[in-house]
Amino acid sequence: MFLDKIELINFRLHKHTNLNFSENLNYIVGGNGQGKTTILEGIYYLCTTRNINQASDSDVVMFGENYFEINGVFKDLTQNKLKINFSLEANKKYLYLDNKQFYRASSVIGKFPVVTLTQSDHAITLGSPAERRKFIDSVIAQSSEVYLKTLIDYNKTLRQRSSLLSQIKESGNRSLLTQLDAWTDALVEAGTELVKRRKVFIEKFNEFIRESYFKVMENKEVPHIEYSFLDEDDPDKIGDVYKQAIAEMREQELRRATNLVGPHRDDFIFRINDNELKKFGSQGQHKTFQIALRFGEFFFLKEVLNKTPIFLMDDVFGELDVYRASKISRYLKEIGQAFITITDFSNLDYLHRSEDDYKLIVENGSVKYD
Amino acid sequence: MQIAEPLQLAIDELSKLPSIGKKSALRLALHLLKSDKENVDNLVNAISDLKTKIQFCKNCFNISVDDLCSVCENPKRDRSMICVVEEASDIISIEKTNEYRGLYHVLGGVLSPLSGKSADNLNINELVKRVEKGSIKEIIIATNPDTEGETTSLYIFKLLKPFNLKVTRLARGLPIGGDLEFADDATIGRAVLGRIELL
Ligand SMILES: [Zn+2]
Repeated sequence: MFLDKIELINFRLHKHTNLNFSENLNYIVGGNGQGKTTILEGIYYLCTTRNINQASDSDVVMFGENYFEINGVFKDLTQNKLKINFSLEANKKYLYLDNKQFYRASSVIGKFPVVTLTQSDHAITLGSPAERRKFIDSVIAQSSEVYLKTLIDYNKTLRQRSSLLSQIKESGNRSLLTQLDAWTDALVEAGTELVKRRKVFIEKFNEFIRESYFKVMENKEVPHIEYSFLDEDDPDKIGDVYKQAIAEMREQELRRATNLVGPHRDDFIFRINDNELKKFGSQGQHKTFQIALRFGEFFFLKEVLNKTPIFLMDDVFGELDVYRASKISRYLKEIGQAFITITDFSNLDYLHRSEDDYKLIVENGSVKYD
Repeated sequence: MQIAEPLQLAIDELSKLPSIGKKSALRLALHLLKSDKENVDNLVNAISDLKTKIQFCKNCFNISVDDLCSVCENPKRDRSMICVVEEASDIISIEKTNEYRGLYHVLGGVLSPLSGKSADNLNINELVKRVEKGSIKEIIIATNPDTEGETTSLYIFKLLKPFNLKVTRLARGLPIGGDLEFADDATIGRAVLGRIELL
């Protein structure tokens, strides 16, 4: 699957931009604030109906206008037309697939898979455990609707359970404890399912990031993600161990009126040659790891969805040394369709380019082909 | 423009109904204004009869004209079986399938601490009392397959454990009378994973 063309109307700096894309690499070159990242933002909207940076839809409308619109044509064996129209007045997004209106983002999720590599990815390796959970959950959820629903159930159970814990704490009514037990059972059931699926995923995903890391570095460094839940490795015992741990924490949970045990507190340890990346990794190793995670995500989704995602890479080359940048541009050739923004023209010289790649020059919201 | 007070009053009352907004309420009120008096009287009587002639069954909390509902009064129903549902409207859906011949018990909601619903606000103790009488051999819990419905079923399951009954749960994830064709992949996936026997 690839994005053949896009039309951006009143979309940030783009008053009216029509673009045709290469099935292969599309380099989008321009200075800061000229509207090149906006093109990625538009593509991301088409694939997910959402904003790439969780910005609000109204922020995206060109100053002085009252709507924005994005039209796109995806080609595969068939062709799909997608239209997103946001009205500032109604504060509402209208979505159309092949001229037919649809109402839920989930109607298109997984249909046009997309993988992004941006500078904010540094949070995945350098940030808090929540950042790593968010990354891992998003990859699994894109590949499994069951996982997504279980995750939603689990989070809802957490909210219900903490509300009940507060009620017990405030009222001192211990007769509510039987109800707490029921919420605990529900939590353990959904949580165990999450843990099991995370374990299976990590095992498989490790192969993908090892491959990607090797493609970018070609040396003896071996990346690895370690995931363990309450130190239990046997999937059949996870439920029991979980139950026991939560029983031991019960008084503390009641005192603090919060959920203290479960996969919402998991961390994933990233290692290079057995050394913990977060503690011992160099800046270059962090960057390479982040890239390997995204390429790993790409090839993982391609395999399980049996569909080639679109790859968006925002301003990443500027941070890389020449060796790594040229390696990655070669690796991109294995991907399919990718969109790569570049600020510095000189970086283009050492990138591996071929004839069917496009180069788009963006200046103040207008685009030229080079 | 100033709206005549009786009309405004009717709009206000109508817009309190579920899924009726101000605009629909206005449309309904104007429609009633134009209708024959006889039609309006019939509607008013039907609505007021709802509150005066209808009550909840003393046994199962189903909607009923008499003390006991038509299911509880029917001598042909299997009195050893209770199907536990969230709302009386669920009974209508199950009855439509013509597959179930036992009795019912309406909980009047599900456990949800976030919306202030605890076991005391539901007809759960009444269910236990029915079981204590001894003639019940099987309980089918048919709460919705969402988080709150599942947890409520786990809670009831715990309460009923000492009675040594057969307790089953409707195949998880599949709506009542649901057709595989219309369920999405995740629902089917869960139904396959779901364990039906609880006890
Ligand atoms: Zn009854």
